[in-house]
Amino acid sequence: MKKLPIHQEAKKLELEFHTRRHFLQQCRTGMGMLALGSLLDGCNFFGEDMGNHSISHANPLAAKASPLPGKAKSVIFLHMAGAPSQLEMFDFKPALQKMDGMDCPDSFIQGKKFAFIRGVPKLLGPQAEFKQYGESGIWLSNHMPYFPSVVDDVAILKAVSTDQFNHAPAQLLMHCGTARLGRPSMGSWVTYGLGTENSNLPGFVVLTSGGRNPDAGKSVWGSGFLPSVYQGVQCRSEGDPVLFLKDPNGIDRDMRKASIEAINKVNEISYQEFQDPEILSRISQYEMAFNMQIAVPDVMNISDEPEYIHRMYGTKPGKESFANNILLARKLVEKGVRFVQLFDWGWDSHGTDPGTALDLGFIQKCRENDQAVTALLTDLKQRGLLDETLVVWGGEFGRTPMQENRDGKQNVFKGRDHHSDAFCMWMAGGGIRKGFTYGETDEIGYNAVDGKVSVFDVQATILKQLGFEHTSFTYPFQGRNFRLTDVFGKVIDPIIA
Amino acid sequence: MPIHFKSPVFLSISIATSLSLVYFLFLHQPQVDYNADVKPILNQKCISCHGGVKKKGGFSLLFQEEALSPTESGKPAIIAGDAQNSEMIKRLYAKDLDERMPYHEEELSDQEKKILERWIDQGAKFSTHWAYLPVQKTTVPSGGFFAFIKKKDGTEIDRFIDQELDEVGLNRSNEADKKTLLRRVALDLIGMPAPSQIQQSFLNDSSAHAYEILVDSLLQLPAYGERWTAMWMDLARYADSKGYERDYIRSIFRYRDWLINAFNQDKPYDHFITEQLAGDLLPNPSDEQFLATAFHRNTMNNDEGGTDNEEFRTAAVIDRVNTTWETLLGTSFACVQCHSHPYDPFRHEEYYSFMAFFNNSRDEDTYDEYPLLREFRNNSIPQYDSVITWLQTKADPSTKNFYKTLVKTGQQCINSLTADSLTNAALEDTKFLRMRKNAWARIKSVGLTDKQVLYIRFRSPVKSGQLDFYVGSGSSKPFASTQIKQTKDGWTLISIPIKQKLNGRHDVLIHFDSPLLKNGNDNGPVFDWFCFAPSFPGVNDPSFHTYFQTFVSLLNRPDAELTPIMMDNPSDLKRNTYVFERGNWLLKTKLVEAGIPSIFNPQQKQFRNRLDLARWMTDKKNPLTARTMVNRLWEQLFGQGIVETLEDFGSQGALPSHQQLLDYLSYQFMHEDQWSIKKTLKRMVMSATYRQSSIVDKKTIEKDPLNKFYARAPRVRLSAEQIRDQALVICGAYSNKMFGPSVMPYQPDGIWASPYDGRTWEQSKGEDLYRRAIYTYWKRTGPYPTQINFDGTAREVCVSRRIRTNTPLQALNLLNDSTYWDLSVKFAQNIISRYPTNLEKGIVHAYETAVGNAPDPSKVKLLKQLYWTSVQSIQKNPEKTNAMLNDSSLHKTHALAAMAITANAILNLDEVITKN
Repeated sequence: MKKLPIHQEAKKLELEFHTRRHFLQQCRTGMGMLALGSLLDGCNFFGEDMGNHSISHANPLAAKASPLPGKAKSVIFLHMAGAPSQLEMFDFKPALQKMDGMDCPDSFIQGKKFAFIRGVPKLLGPQAEFKQYGESGIWLSNHMPYFPSVVDDVAILKAVSTDQFNHAPAQLLMHCGTARLGRPSMGSWVTYGLGTENSNLPGFVVLTSGGRNPDAGKSVWGSGFLPSVYQGVQCRSEGDPVLFLKDPNGIDRDMRKASIEAINKVNEISYQEFQDPEILSRISQYEMAFNMQIAVPDVMNISDEPEYIHRMYGTKPGKESFANNILLARKLVEKGVRFVQLFDWGWDSHGTDPGTALDLGFIQKCRENDQAVTALLTDLKQRGLLDETLVVWGGEFGRTPMQENRDGKQNVFKGRDHHSDAFCMWMAGGGIRKGFTYGETDEIGYNAVDGKVSVFDVQATILKQLGFEHTSFTYPFQGRNFRLTDVFGKVIDPIIA
Repeated sequence: MPIHFKSPVFLSISIATSLSLVYFLFLHQPQVDYNADVKPILNQKCISCHGGVKKKGGFSLLFQEEALSPTESGKPAIIAGDAQNSEMIKRLYAKDLDERMPYHEEELSDQEKKILERWIDQGAKFSTHWAYLPVQKTTVPSGGFFAFIKKKDGTEIDRFIDQELDEVGLNRSNEADKKTLLRRVALDLIGMPAPSQIQQSFLNDSSAHAYEILVDSLLQLPAYGERWTAMWMDLARYADSKGYERDYIRSIFRYRDWLINAFNQDKPYDHFITEQLAGDLLPNPSDEQFLATAFHRNTMNNDEGGTDNEEFRTAAVIDRVNTTWETLLGTSFACVQCHSHPYDPFRHEEYYSFMAFFNNSRDEDTYDEYPLLREFRNNSIPQYDSVITWLQTKADPSTKNFYKTLVKTGQQCINSLTADSLTNAALEDTKFLRMRKNAWARIKSVGLTDKQVLYIRFRSPVKSGQLDFYVGSGSSKPFASTQIKQTKDGWTLISIPIKQKLNGRHDVLIHFDSPLLKNGNDNGPVFDWFCFAPSFPGVNDPSFHTYFQTFVSLLNRPDAELTPIMMDNPSDLKRNTYVFERGNWLLKTKLVEAGIPSIFNPQQKQFRNRLDLARWMTDKKNPLTARTMVNRLWEQLFGQGIVETLEDFGSQGALPSHQQLLDYLSYQFMHEDQWSIKKTLKRMVMSATYRQSSIVDKKTIEKDPLNKFYARAPRVRLSAEQIRDQALVICGAYSNKMFGPSVMPYQPDGIWASPYDGRTWEQSKGEDLYRRAIYTYWKRTGPYPTQINFDGTAREVCVSRRIRTNTPLQALNLLNDSTYWDLSVKFAQNIISRYPTNLEKGIVHAYETAVGNAPDPSKVKLLKQLYWTSVQSIQKNPEKTNAMLNDSSLHKTHALAAMAITANAILNLDEVITKN
């Protein structure tokens, strides 16, 4: 008979209000399938569209069709926590170079509040060389020697704006659509809406590098008012890659298999007694747990990737690094994970110390980022995955054209303060226009003069590529229908292919 | 089928029938029910453009007077009594799609249009939403004509349930067996299995009262209070840390302890909430009453450098408003922050009137979370007593009150971070005022009438320096001066005499300088607070110095438990409250006074403070307070509320499944039971509805898959807290130690990784490892994983309802978490020591301990098989035993290891983690 993984069967049965006989037959097949392997290559799901987005208790993460046809199946969101300087990477401002060292015109600072700048700061010219690259002729800085090879695949947004200039609130706004705590993150929304393609892996995976979590803490991958099953699962480089994944000491796979079999068979008898579909669901969850125990360490292990891949990404197995996480992201989407969110700490280039200096630490961050990110796009393309994987890159805001003068004194190193009016992000793959820039800032890169988009517009566009109309993708809470984009957002049509 | 008119009689009957049908359909227009028929259409189809948020075309359907007023066109859209000429109705039929309403959306159905027409024809009357009408005494259904043949086992609750069941053609199930019922009611009332002597006496008692005796004894156990505290901690957003980026520790466990005591004493619910909202405003508040107010000090506090304290103070006040409404009044009020409520009759401005109740509290996002209640310990107790005695004998009443409050709560001190106009000074890390060489700072508007002494709490790294206080420009002579010395022992408290008699309010300028500071960037003293006070009394008494010194050391560093509490600013420092334009705290517009939404206050009664607010909430005429709480209690027992949306009784929330029952229970709660939670719970668990079996047949499940009608008892997975607590009891590890600081049981490494917190999870020792879940340390940015895996929330804001999920992470948690493995080993030891030679009996016993019922033999067989498979596996590789049983105190046998695996499996069974 056709082998259906038990949790799918459970779901199907629940939908049909399950006949017991049918269940038990399948259940036995399910037990047999604990003989491993069969579930590990990803799963076939019901082809049928579940229609709405009500949560199935039996399997809340079952893959669902998007309400509209979407180009992207999965998302890799690369968040440079701290906010990288657009003026040293993507937004070339020759005029700012000429004005280097001059007092910032009053019109820019009048009535403005900055995180650290006080009084009248000086303008700071670009701390990088720029050239045009690719057929698209996009300007890029010399801090990114690898990126030109993929620049014809990306769409750069040059005039993104936000209304938050402190890290934690701005990160929350970027991922949860609000600067306050308590709302679901983008990855939670997406896994809520689409489920996941591989039930042996979490649907929404978070990877962090740079030694710290983002300022806004775990709330940026929290599920807010959505059920907690949709929150991001942080996969860790040390200890258990997922909490409680490892069996207690001394318990091997066979013993674990025997114990899960016993639990499930006892539960099967309880099901006969109580007829409670939740028991079927529990049986399937225990099977999934068993499978996850193999699937997760397997996917998290990058050491068996070929040498050329390591050279391409700059990865070194066995340590926590941004490059390793980038390679993991590729492996995860390849295995059907819906949403991968990477946070890389260390982009807060204030110029208060060498690490945050634009001519020192920042260049190092660019280099690490450049090679791995370029490799990711190249690799996804080679594997034919880029078309269905939406890659998003950016920080929570940008940086000022002025040099930071903390408490009114020029900082010792060259750095820039937080800037919310205009910054750069890029997207690639998943139906995004290739080799294109959208938006423009004024001659010093302070304000958007054309193609200004908001963080909400970026969110609306990501949802659109996944097959959602952001205004109708809602969840009722506290008496109203909430959505990721709150009451804002407009899809950025020009960057859609 | 064709109709043949065979006889004139039939014909005339048919004509009569048709005529009455015609009359019914076209001539007689049944009265439309605004709430049941009209409001749902308006909410779903109209109000998003014509409501509290948007008023397209100047037309809103939120309030009657708005709906009937002229729109932008100059004419009203609704003409009461005349649907045909009402623009609103015309627009429903418009042919032009740009004209037709709902705008560019699907047309209303004919039925919907007819309802709206009839409603307007009948006068377009608005009526009050059911939840805003006072709770009336409800008649208990008689059971109908066939009552005499019905089951007679029920209580009044069951009559309401049966009435609905009759309508859908279902019957209540039989009573669950004794053991199932025992486990169920214990998990519900005390959150864990009943103590064995209570179990035994119930099982051995075959009298009719056995169950009631069981319920009564469970309600008397201290564990009862702990179980219900677990529910309230979600509502109160209780946490042991402050939240936000830095998320430092907060000591507020005394509030948790207050809750446990309050539940155990069965504090009447009206007192319970009055003390939490306004305990500090009661006459001569006791420590307990102060502690209760920590309810609203569970708001988050932001220590991130560079943040604006006023912004986060405001955020905390807003959270208090939203929490008060959601927790105590079952109403979503948060949306009124930005605009009038989109669906319910609350105006934008009313949000801020309500906010005014909370906006005058003393707390201002300070690092130390002042004001703090000081519960003295050890030597501080006699010190406190002696100071109080001294004040009683030596001081006039106002001085006595001033000093008593000062010692007890540290108020009225002025926090140094409110200083401004800084020169060579800074609010260091937005926590404390730091002064450098030749430094100036200002404190605005200090009341100096009758103030003769100034207390300062400070630290200083400088050997010495001159500190002066001026009023006015700083060019006159200082009114207080002192030399401050280097401090060696942390915060130091000194008193400085005020040399001039100053009346009224003045801006005070502070100046510090020291020739020892060479560089402008060298650090001078840092200040915690300033306190302008009347003289400490009894200056002429020979013992003055002794008592004064006692007072100073008590004020500076008491040996005391410190807990954040609510206190209001004195009347002359009252904060004004303004309407924020679109919820933006920087855009303050109209000044408002404290008050409640006018729908609840038609007589426009005046409200002064939080105590008045509490009085309104606990008035038996308040329509929401009792309903909200009764509904919560029901949800805890039955897995779903009578109103499913516990958090929203408004018109967008779910309608009650049994409204009469809800009102009956609410009425009994207030009038019959005088707000007793225990009595209400007893009422519920005594019902036959509660006591029925959860075993269900196919017919019932098909008719009522979600068990909305209660033809069976619900089967619900246990909460995170119940799962832990039950496992502790089953495995014989449970510590019944109550109260005290939160503890740190096993937790995997690496959970606490917030950017700045240097604190680590330091595993507790001894019995603290095995205490109930409510005592586990709760850090907001790194909550305890089991709690989150089993649907707990991060406690950033209050959450009324945990949404149950069923995930593989839960399986991994119970299989592999050290907590559960350690418990499995303990469980195994107990099983073996009880049945060292009889495996069968051992497993039956283990299963019975965990599930409460004897296992089906087929289950025993499966568990025995698991045991033997494990033994075989271990025999092949005996090293596994050592690895599994790594505690040095254990006698490492293969049998123990294999039994631990079996015990672990039992802890994972569906029946064990589910309430049957």
